[in-house]
Amino acid sequence: MEKFIKLGSDISALWGHYWLQYLVGIRNTLIVAVVATLVGCIIGLLCGILNTIPYAKNDPLPKRFFLKLVRVVVRIYVEVFRGTPMVLQAVFIYYGLPYFTDGAVAFSGNAGIWIASLVVVSINTGAYMAESVRGGIISIDPGQTEGAKAIGMTHVQTMTSVILPQAIRNIIPQIGNNFIINIKDTSVMFVIGFVEFFATHRNIVGLNLMYFPSATIEMVGYLTMTLIASFLLRLVEKLMDGSDSYELVQEDQLTMTAGTYSHPDRGTPFDERSKEYRNRVRESLKNRNGSTRGER
Amino acid sequence: MDEMILEIRHLSKTFGKNEVLRDIDFSVAKGDVTSIIGASGSGKSTLLRCINLLETPTSGEILYRGENVAGRGVNAARYRSHVGMVFQSFNLFNNMTVLENCMVGQVKVLGKNRVDARKSAMNYLEKVGMAPYINAKPRQISGGQKQRVAIARALAMDPEVLLFDEPTSALDPEMVGEVLNVMQALANEGMTMLVVTHEMAFARDVSSQVVYMNGGIICEQGTPEEVFGNPQKQETRDFLARFRKN
Repeated sequence: MEKFIKLGSDISALWGHYWLQYLVGIRNTLIVAVVATLVGCIIGLLCGILNTIPYAKNDPLPKRFFLKLVRVVVRIYVEVFRGTPMVLQAVFIYYGLPYFTDGAVAFSGNAGIWIASLVVVSINTGAYMAESVRGGIISIDPGQTEGAKAIGMTHVQTMTSVILPQAIRNIIPQIGNNFIINIKDTSVMFVIGFVEFFATHRNIVGLNLMYFPSATIEMVGYLTMTLIASFLLRLVEKLMDGSDSYELVQEDQLTMTAGTYSHPDRGTPFDERSKEYRNRVRESLKNRNGSTRGER
Repeated sequence: MDEMILEIRHLSKTFGKNEVLRDIDFSVAKGDVTSIIGASGSGKSTLLRCINLLETPTSGEILYRGENVAGRGVNAARYRSHVGMVFQSFNLFNNMTVLENCMVGQVKVLGKNRVDARKSAMNYLEKVGMAPYINAKPRQISGGQKQRVAIARALAMDPEVLLFDEPTSALDPEMVGEVLNVMQALANEGMTMLVVTHEMAFARDVSSQVVYMNGGIICEQGTPEEVFGNPQKQETRDFLARFRKN
């Protein structure tokens, strides 16, 4: 118990002193996570669409070759960025570009660190999303594509009007997954000097060695961010599903369709289904004094 | 002579080594209602899907108004916008309401403005009796209703010919009637239709031409009176006899 009290006082001391730095860290983490998830989704959508352009055997050779090439390139991109640690990718890109261009292209200063972080997390998310989008597109019934083709839609129209809206709805949980992973995994960007929430912790404990209390603040901070994120994503899912009911537009009053029938006495004392009515009937039955026939 | 909409010439289709269609030859004139009948697996649906280029024919020609659409360099999307198709499994767009289903093709493919598209969509939805349901999503309506919307969606594109791929096979018996009634009304209005069906009564009473397929070839074709009343081939007689028994 004593320990908890001590922890509490340590945390409040830390927070009291460094709250601004922690908040700035949270802000930076969220900015990178949100932007990188959005950009990653766009990359993933593009890759997913490119990957699923159909081609037939009798298409002209250049078209087939080009589509095949696109698939190979996307495949390599996905495998490389999914298959290596993001912390290494960050180092690789941050130091690799200046290395190869003799410093002509370099991520200099604070802006450079921001750009490098956003780029690395975005293309990493894109690699994961590419597979999710491909899965989302495959999961849509081929009949939907056929229906769209049958009314003369091109591949792009089919995708944008019919397939993607449904595929995106199906991969929202995946997008949420990636967003939450990004909130946590931006922490590895400290290797290139990006000061987000976790790097803030490293900076602060470097000064005062209060590792555990600061880590507790971090824990609570990350959990709060991810919980809010999952709540918001659930909300988005619900909104996308739309209403479960629909209004009948009854233009022809003569058509009485199943399910639209409403009992005319509903809500009045004559409603046979109301408790009041049933009680009344039950009472009157009881008051007949055993006679089974009505009084004359 | 009647104006020819579709002429199928020596059409063949193989899946791997499996020959599904062999040397199919027939033509559809404007206003014709052609029923394609035959046992399951005889290639009826594949034939219809070839005509709509959902499958690529292996060889042969499909002439649409005298122009071969089965060759290379054909704008399949533009051709399909003139040839409506109604599927066995409806294939309504699940992310759209009934009304949007009937509007999206007009807006995106035909380039109509939304007001005109809505007007014509409502017109066709009324015709199939689905006007009260314009705000419903496909998952909220019954199979027969879905198929009627699918017919309205195809009609809204103002097609030259409508292809029906077993439109009533996925429906409960009590819903078959409502779809067949709509199709019969269309036939009476002079719509050119090509119907793959197991509804022998429909084929006999509504169509102007009946094609009996067996094992990937056209076994017999002619007017309903000829095919149903006086079948020439033994296979046709056997097939029809099986249906009469049921």
